[in-house]
Order: sequence, then structure tokens, then C-alpha cells
Amino acid sequence: MNEYDEEWEVQINALLDGELSPKGAEKLKADALGDGDLAAAIISAYQLQKAMENIHVERAPDSLRKKLKAIPRRKQPAPAFRLFQPRWAMVLAAIPLTLIVVSLMRPDTPPASEIAQAREEMAIAFAYLDKAGVMTGREIESTVGRTMANAVTGSINRVIKSQHLSSKEKKV
Amino acid sequence: MAAYILMNMSKRYRQWVKQYQDQAWTVARYILKDAQEAEDATQEAFVKLWNNRDKIDPERVKPWLMKVTRNGCLDRLRRRRDNVEFDESHMAGEVSGPLQGVAANETRAWLQRAIGGLKEPYRSLVVLRDVNQHSYEEVAGMLELNLAQVKTYLHRARKQLREQLAEVRP
Repeated sequence: MNEYDEEWEVQINALLDGELSPKGAEKLKADALGDGDLAAAIISAYQLQKAMENIHVERAPDSLRKKLKAIPRRKQPAPAFRLFQPRWAMVLAAIPLTLIVVSLMRPDTPPASEIAQAREEMAIAFAYLDKAGVMTGREIESTVGRTMANAVTGSINRVIKSQHLSSKEKKV
Repeated sequence: MAAYILMNMSKRYRQWVKQYQDQAWTVARYILKDAQEAEDATQEAFVKLWNNRDKIDPERVKPWLMKVTRNGCLDRLRRRRDNVEFDESHMAGEVSGPLQGVAANETRAWLQRAIGGLKEPYRSLVVLRDVNQHSYEEVAGMLELNLAQVKTYLHRARKQLREQLAEVRP
């Protein structure tokens, strides 16, 4: 395409686009009367423009229309609750921990019947302890008394014996 | 409050879908020439629109979306890395065969094929300007070209189509 062709093309397209001034359009038509190639180019340009009028924007298929409509729903921000979000994972992990701690801290409260039975058994046990204490006290008293008595009488006897032996020695 | 904002955005997004889904689909359809891939590419573009809804100037959504759709399609073409011939069976109402004495429907089918056969960026230019009827300024923004480039490339694209049309039309 040479410069001459380019200039024609610019003029022809401006004519078809309605951008050519009335004066310019008249001049182009006048030129075409004396130039068969230019005239043919203008005619074919008009034919193309007419054919182009039958070419329309195509209707997008229904499948695509549905997909395009659905894009905002598919691309919504993440819902408030998502199980594997860090904060929810922490909450989930805390649940069993809390249960364990609560179960450990909770005081055992046995049934009333068990408490009553335990009290009876405790009373019996204390009664036995009292008896055993009394008996042990008496035993201690008697044992201590005998020991004390032996300690006193034993030392007197030893003193008498030694005095008796020394008087015999003197006699000898 | 957050729920209200989200609802408002969803409503605005639905309006954008309603307004631009057909245009984006048409761009993808012509560039990729494969219905399933075009559907995926269009969906991807709208997912990006939703994800960037707060950053896009509402007045610039259309050019932004068309640009993203086109770029996504071109990426797919690069990945495909082959020049798949335009599969006319994918174009609605298309027929094959000679066009001598063709009816309007057949001319349309032929033209769709011819547009699909153009190289980039000519194909995108014709689809965005002549099929989707975007303004030159919008097309320039979508394709990141200046206005003069858009006009020049479009002239060339139309000339190619004219020449092909002249061949099939006696």
C-alpha cells in the first residue's frame, strides 16, 4: 500500500464514517469520476459497510450468562464461620481442655447415704480408738510403775549387798 | 454496612454484565474462533472485573473489560501456538461455499469468516469498531494505540475485507 492508496483509504473511511466535510466529499466524488480505481474502491467500501450492517454483536450463550451472573456469589468474602480458620481452630482446641480442667476442679460430692455410712464407720473407728487409748494408757501406767519400782528396790538391794560384803571383808 | 456495600456492588456488577456480556463474548468469539474457549475467556474477564470492581472507574468499565477480554484471548492464542483455521461451524447461521449471487445471510456468514481470518490487530479493530460499534477513542484505549494508528490499521483491515468481498462478488 503506497502513500497514494493510504490517502485514498483515509478519505474513503472518513466518508463512510461521516467525518468528511461536505466539501471534501464532493471533491472525492469528483476525483472518482475521473479515476476508475478510486470509484471502485468507494463502491466496494459502501458494499462492505452495507454488509457490515448485518453483522451484529452476538448474543452470549445462556450457559455463559448464568456463569457471569454467578461470579459475585462464588467470589463472596469468606463467611464469618469457617471451621479451619485459626481462631476457630483455637476455640475447638480449647473445648476439650476446658472440659478436662472443669472435671478436675469439680469437687466430688458422694450421695448422702454414703456420707451417713462413712460417719457411722468413723464413729465406730473413733470408739475403738478411744478404747485402745484407754487400754494403752493403763498398760503404760502399769509398765512404767513396775519399772520405777524395780529401779528403786533394785538400787537399795545393791546398796545393802555391797555394805554387807564390805563388813565381811573387814572381819576377815 | 459492609453487607450494604457488597449488595450495591453486586447490583452494579449485574448491570455491567447485562450491558457488556454480549460485546465481550463477540470479541472473544471472533478472536478465538472456538465457542468453549471464548466462553472461558469471557468468564475470566468478568471474574477480573469483579475482583477489580473497586479500582475501576465506572465510566471506563467498557473499554477496560474489552481490553481485558481481548488480552486474555490473545494470551490463549499464544498458548495455543498454532494457526487454527477459522471453524465456520462455530458461527451461528454460517454457510460455506461460493458467494456468487449470495443472499444477505450468506454474505453475513462469509463476512464473519473473513473477519475471523484477519490478522491481529486488524481483527480486533474491525470487531471493536465495526461490530461492537465502539468509538475510535474507545478502541484506541482498548488496544493501547493512538487515534491515528487505529484509523490507519482500520483502513487497512477494511481494505483487505473489501478486496476479499470483491473476489467473491462479481
